[in-house]
Amino acid sequence: MYRPLMHSPELLKGTLQTILLKVLQDNGKMYGYEITQKVKELSVGRILLTEGALYPALHKLEAEGLLQTETVLIGKRVRKYYTITVTGKSLVKERVIEFREFIKTMSAVLQVQFA
Amino acid sequence: MPQLTTEHINYIIKDLHYRGLVYEPLQNELVDHICSSAETEMEQGKKFIDAYQEVLKSFGHTKGLRETQRQTIHSENSMFKAMLKNYLTIAMRNLRKQSFYSVINITGLAVGIASCLVIILYIFNELSYDKFNAKADRIYRIDSEILFNGNHLQMVTASAPMGPAMKEVYPEVEDMARFRQEGTILVKRSIDNIRETNVVYADSTIFNIFTIPLISGNPKTALVEPNTLVLSESTAAKLFPNDEDPIGQTLILDNRHNFKITGVYKDIPRESHFHFSMMLSMESLKDSKNDEWLSHNFVTYLLLRDGASAQELEAKFPKLIDIHVTPMLKQMLGPDVDMDAFLQAGNKLDYTLRPLLDIHLHSDLSNEFEPNSDITYVYLFGAVALFILLIACINFMNLSTARSANRAKEVGMRKVMGSLRLHLVNQFLMESILLSIFSFLIALLLTYFAMPFFNDLAGRQISIPWTNPAFVIIIFGASVLIGVFAGTYPAFFLSAFRPINVLKGNMALGMKSGLIRSGLVVFQFSISIILIIGTFTVQQQLSYIQEKKIGFNKDQVIVIQDAYAMGDQLQSFKDEVLKNSAITNGSISGFLPVSGTNRNDNVYWPEGADPSQDNMVSLQVWSVDQDYVPTLGMEIMEGRNFSRDFPSDSGAVILNEAALKMFNFTEDPIGRKIATFGGGMGANGKPNSVSFEVIGSLKDFHFESLKQSITPVALFLRKSTSRVSFRFQASDTQGVINTIQNTWVRMAPGQPFQYTFLDQAFGKMYDSEQRLGKIFAVFAGLAILIASLGLFALTSFTAEQRNKEIGIRKVLGASVSSIVMLLSREFGKLIIIAFILSVPVAWYAVNWWLESYMYKVEVGVVVYLLAGLASFLIAWLTMGFQSMKAASSNPIDALRSE
Repeated sequence: MYRPLMHSPELLKGTLQTILLKVLQDNGKMYGYEITQKVKELSVGRILLTEGALYPALHKLEAEGLLQTETVLIGKRVRKYYTITVTGKSLVKERVIEFREFIKTMSAVLQVQFA
Repeated sequence: MPQLTTEHINYIIKDLHYRGLVYEPLQNELVDHICSSAETEMEQGKKFIDAYQEVLKSFGHTKGLRETQRQTIHSENSMFKAMLKNYLTIAMRNLRKQSFYSVINITGLAVGIASCLVIILYIFNELSYDKFNAKADRIYRIDSEILFNGNHLQMVTASAPMGPAMKEVYPEVEDMARFRQEGTILVKRSIDNIRETNVVYADSTIFNIFTIPLISGNPKTALVEPNTLVLSESTAAKLFPNDEDPIGQTLILDNRHNFKITGVYKDIPRESHFHFSMMLSMESLKDSKNDEWLSHNFVTYLLLRDGASAQELEAKFPKLIDIHVTPMLKQMLGPDVDMDAFLQAGNKLDYTLRPLLDIHLHSDLSNEFEPNSDITYVYLFGAVALFILLIACINFMNLSTARSANRAKEVGMRKVMGSLRLHLVNQFLMESILLSIFSFLIALLLTYFAMPFFNDLAGRQISIPWTNPAFVIIIFGASVLIGVFAGTYPAFFLSAFRPINVLKGNMALGMKSGLIRSGLVVFQFSISIILIIGTFTVQQQLSYIQEKKIGFNKDQVIVIQDAYAMGDQLQSFKDEVLKNSAITNGSISGFLPVSGTNRNDNVYWPEGADPSQDNMVSLQVWSVDQDYVPTLGMEIMEGRNFSRDFPSDSGAVILNEAALKMFNFTEDPIGRKIATFGGGMGANGKPNSVSFEVIGSLKDFHFESLKQSITPVALFLRKSTSRVSFRFQASDTQGVINTIQNTWVRMAPGQPFQYTFLDQAFGKMYDSEQRLGKIFAVFAGLAILIASLGLFALTSFTAEQRNKEIGIRKVLGASVSSIVMLLSREFGKLIIIAFILSVPVAWYAVNWWLESYMYKVEVGVVVYLLAGLASFLIAWLTMGFQSMKAASSNPIDALRSE
């Protein structure tokens, strides 16, 4: 069976918030499971968000006012949707720029040309 | 896409709950997540239960689930500010709601902290002595210890040639300076004399060793020339009130000597072991150049080079001493006595180096510039501070745990609502930190008001260093620390409650945790009782000193200082004053039986024998007149006093009992003779001697502090003009002073009139004990107060707890007194246990303190019983009030609510 190459959790650690915010900005309203699937899809299976990291991060972003939630009753199940707030949006821009700068720096440090 | 059935979903919800997922906001979300995930798995043909297991695995099963839950809660709560605000609000609300306990808690803690703060400031002040000297760690004083013929001298003074010799011989000595105490002198510019105390002769090198900055004048040259002097800033201001420049002016000292002012130095800081008002150049003193290695009159300081070891230097001393002292010993004791023989006969001639920073707290020798403090006081007060703080903290813990019953329901409720233990701990810690901070604020205020009283009591000038950032940080840090310290136990105790027990109501925790609480109460009262016993003992020893038969009559004697200013007229001054009928006796002598007056010693031996180490006695040689014995109310046991009817009395001596014992004259002393060196060598090759006939024996009298034993004293009929003492009748003290003063002013215009009363001078010898007694009493009182506050609150709490019980008992016919007994019995027992525990400790401590007295009071059982009774009474009164209140209340009020 083909197993895609996974990125190590250490590398991902600092980028989790950026990923969550950007995905939510690009895709609007999403729920937890949907986010993991989306990220999996975008990364061609190379980034698998673990639930143990996802939910604490989502709740923290919510508590900080970067995300807001709404709950929808689906039969017996309660589904909680996350959307990005205005403060969240302005932060995404910063984070993405910051990450781009980081890539540039890393390319210089590691002497590797990124595509 | 397969959909999960309701049963499946219910199964998942139940299972997750069973696995410990209780946090609701996360619960819903995870159920949804797991469902979605499981559906995806089932899509591939798995059965529900397999799909669910697969999903759980990706979560890490129960452990992973719980960890996720914990992390989620934690990340939400890292909104620290919001939580803090919440804790703060609730804490404030609780404190207000329980205002009675809060007030008692805060008061107790505030008083405790204030006492502690005062003592800590005092200790820091004690430890800061002499640190102002930039080279303090390299400065050493030469102390000498001499043991000769049973006389033991420990002095701060060394011989005149020793310091200069050491500087010359030892390379590690960078510099050396000597002081010679001159005491009190009269100073005048033209007409009026001013009396200056604390005058010394000093080497010019002192400015290189000590940090005594000159305001004007050159430190290199100021004390080099003979007949020059430097003044302290305040002495200069006194002598030159009109802003004149003192430099180059001439002062007349003791009406005779002209000295030129060559410098003015900044007043020596209070935290110094010496405070000179003026320093005369050592060059002006002939004695400073003498070669007498056995005459110890100079306080000598050495400045060692960086890295030099004092111990190594000390080890080199004996060789130097040997070289210089042996010739003197041979001259004094015979040609066959050398240093070794001298030491082998049990004598001692030891010199040690004492670090400057040790002097204030560790040095208590003869000839100190000023009485020093004592390290035991630092330990004693440190212990008291710690105890008081402990008592206050214990109050706090006891009240918090005692009230736990009232808060148990709150804890249970919070836990049921999903509060984690950490939250509860935080909440309780926040409350105790808040209490602690309030207490600190009040304590600072209390300290501010109490400091002047303490300074008065302790004879200090300590101020609160408000502007010192370290002080502010320490205070704040300490308040949080004490809050945490006092709050930890209640916080963990309370947060450990199991909600099911608490809410079911079978919770009598207020009473149940009694063992620890009782232990703490016992501890509090033990400390209080120890402090009370300590206070009683100090007071008893003090009154013992005051009332002990000291061998002379210290009451009703007035002493006129600096009588030599009267010059030749002194005798007629005395006669003139004696014309007043209220004044019964008068004596001219500088030697008085209180410390701080003239002292002089010399060696004597029984006449007829050759002087040898075995028969020589070192005597206090006091010069007195014929009226000395009756004026001071001393007692002649055998023989007679000096008399004007016997012109031969100039060759007579009166010895005290201690001296007779040393000479072996105890049987029939009258008519025996003693001899001493007369100076120079006789024709037979032996040193000349002069002899004196014993005409009377004197009952022993104390002339130094009662810490020391009575040493041999001999009275000689000689002139000593520095003081005149008058015995007067009790009726009109002010009139007596006026008479003497008028006579003085008339006969010696321009000379300062200074007097003291003998009993006051006597009392002054015990200044530090008196202060110790007072301070101890105050802090013992505070400790008792705080402990009682705690007990008060505890009893009122118990009474509240047993409200219904009391009501029922009363309804069933219990009397008020039996209920009071019931309520007091429990704590009464504790006090008795505390008493039993504290007695041995107190006994040990008291004996340790009394050890330092040669003459001490017997502390009887009465003191212990009294202390126990006092604490029991105080405790009982505290409890009694509450118990009475509870016992006399109407049972209907207690019972009608059910």
